[in-house]
Amino acid sequence: MNENASGLKSQVQPIVVVDSISKSFTHNVKVLDNVSTRVTKGDVLVIIGPSGSGKSTFLRCLNGLEDIDQGTILIDGIPLDDHEKNRLKIRREVGMVFQSFHLFPHMTVLENVNLAQKLVRKKSKIEATQLSKDLLQKVGVDDKAAVYPNELSGGQQQRVAIARALALMPKIMLFDEATSALDPEMIGEVLDVIRDLANDGMTMVVVTHEMGFAREVSDRVLFMEHGCVIEEAPTERFFQQPAQERTRAFLRKIL
Amino acid sequence: MTRKKKNVLHVYRDISVFAAFSCLFGWLVVRGGREIAYTWHWNQIPRYFFQVDDGVYVSGPLMNGLQVTLQIIGLSLVLAGILGLTTALLRMSTSPVGRWIARIYLEIIRNTPLLVQIFFLYFVMAPILDVGRFATAVLALGMFEGAYASEIFRAGICSIGRGQWEAAYSSGLSTFDTYRKVILPQAIRRILPPLTSQAVSLVKDSALVSTIAVYDLTMEGRTVIAETFLTFEIWFTVAGMYLFITLILSAIASLLEKYVPQRTA
Repeated sequence: MNENASGLKSQVQPIVVVDSISKSFTHNVKVLDNVSTRVTKGDVLVIIGPSGSGKSTFLRCLNGLEDIDQGTILIDGIPLDDHEKNRLKIRREVGMVFQSFHLFPHMTVLENVNLAQKLVRKKSKIEATQLSKDLLQKVGVDDKAAVYPNELSGGQQQRVAIARALALMPKIMLFDEATSALDPEMIGEVLDVIRDLANDGMTMVVVTHEMGFAREVSDRVLFMEHGCVIEEAPTERFFQQPAQERTRAFLRKIL
Repeated sequence: MTRKKKNVLHVYRDISVFAAFSCLFGWLVVRGGREIAYTWHWNQIPRYFFQVDDGVYVSGPLMNGLQVTLQIIGLSLVLAGILGLTTALLRMSTSPVGRWIARIYLEIIRNTPLLVQIFFLYFVMAPILDVGRFATAVLALGMFEGAYASEIFRAGICSIGRGQWEAAYSSGLSTFDTYRKVILPQAIRRILPPLTSQAVSLVKDSALVSTIAVYDLTMEGRTVIAETFLTFEIWFTVAGMYLFITLILSAIASLLEKYVPQRTA
């Protein structure tokens, strides 16, 4: 009984714990104002909100690309604080995909995916290549392994970027408007890859403007505006019975 | 008129203008040469390169000087590269002391004449540190060109977009690995052209070390002139030898540029 209880507890134990974080770029403008949330292992949290609401900044705080002024962030039990060691540890557990890909242009696709495995996980080239090939196949660009990023389409580049982020076997994946810089006909192929990841049980925090996609893959939705959380709810409730008037107005406009 | 015909006409016009100016320049040189009534003795020059005595190769003063100059250039290029990169990284580091040191070094070196620096190192520092003329020369040149190289390095590093840093950091790379594997390889490719012209400057500036009696190419040339009064021939020859070194440097740089293609995101 006791064992069962503790087993249950570890299942619902959140892997991302964010407690009332605040951040301002200049003294007056608060980009994040007392934001808190939790993400359970295996869940997909989608963050939506108008431009400038602080959703990207919030995401970038989760792996320490941005510093916070107040509050605490706990990733898989590790506090994201001023200690460089903790920061590195967290970044090894958290993969991130950017709006404009940011592949390393001087390396081939394979080298892009191999790099962190070799440097961070200290794998040999052969070991790294094995996993990289699998990942590239998973995202459907295994035929481009020897090619440089500038010879790829936007959709292909983003899929390589996803493979690169997965190469460290992260426990959490962050997606920062991963399809916003893509031509419309390439959005689908990238969303497919992210959807597969969600189905595989990857814990993800996704900032997106694709509402249909958000509704489909997410377990919870967090709506932000002016750096504040307006509403956070399980997906179905969020879209069907939003509690806040502001959320209803936003959804009316975009759906 | 078709565009192609027009282009051909342009080329003919350019060539004839160029030929006219060349003729004018050549005429001026020849006339000037007659005016100064100088008797040229080009036939005496080869033996200052090297002589063959009884089948044994004996290098002359110009070859000895060239060798010393090449050694100085090689060593101070390495020193300038190390100092330049270190200074650039210090200036961009989070340590305030590091940034200060880099800044002070940079401002002192860039805002005083190289000749004064050479004298200062030779007459003040060399006795204290107990180093010879050759080492002083390498040190002075390396420090001087290193200051300029550091600004080139810094510009190159700054030209790499923030996204590359973020991508590397979020892959769990340390700052050291990010520089080594992501930032510098991209930056080096971009700064190769300005770095080459800095290296060419170093070659030419190296002539100044003759002032502290380092027997480099310039010093050897001056000595030969003092003995033979072949002023024009020797200085032309020495200039040609410097040109030879710098052209080789430029050729190496353009080869590198050709075989290391620039790739942008």
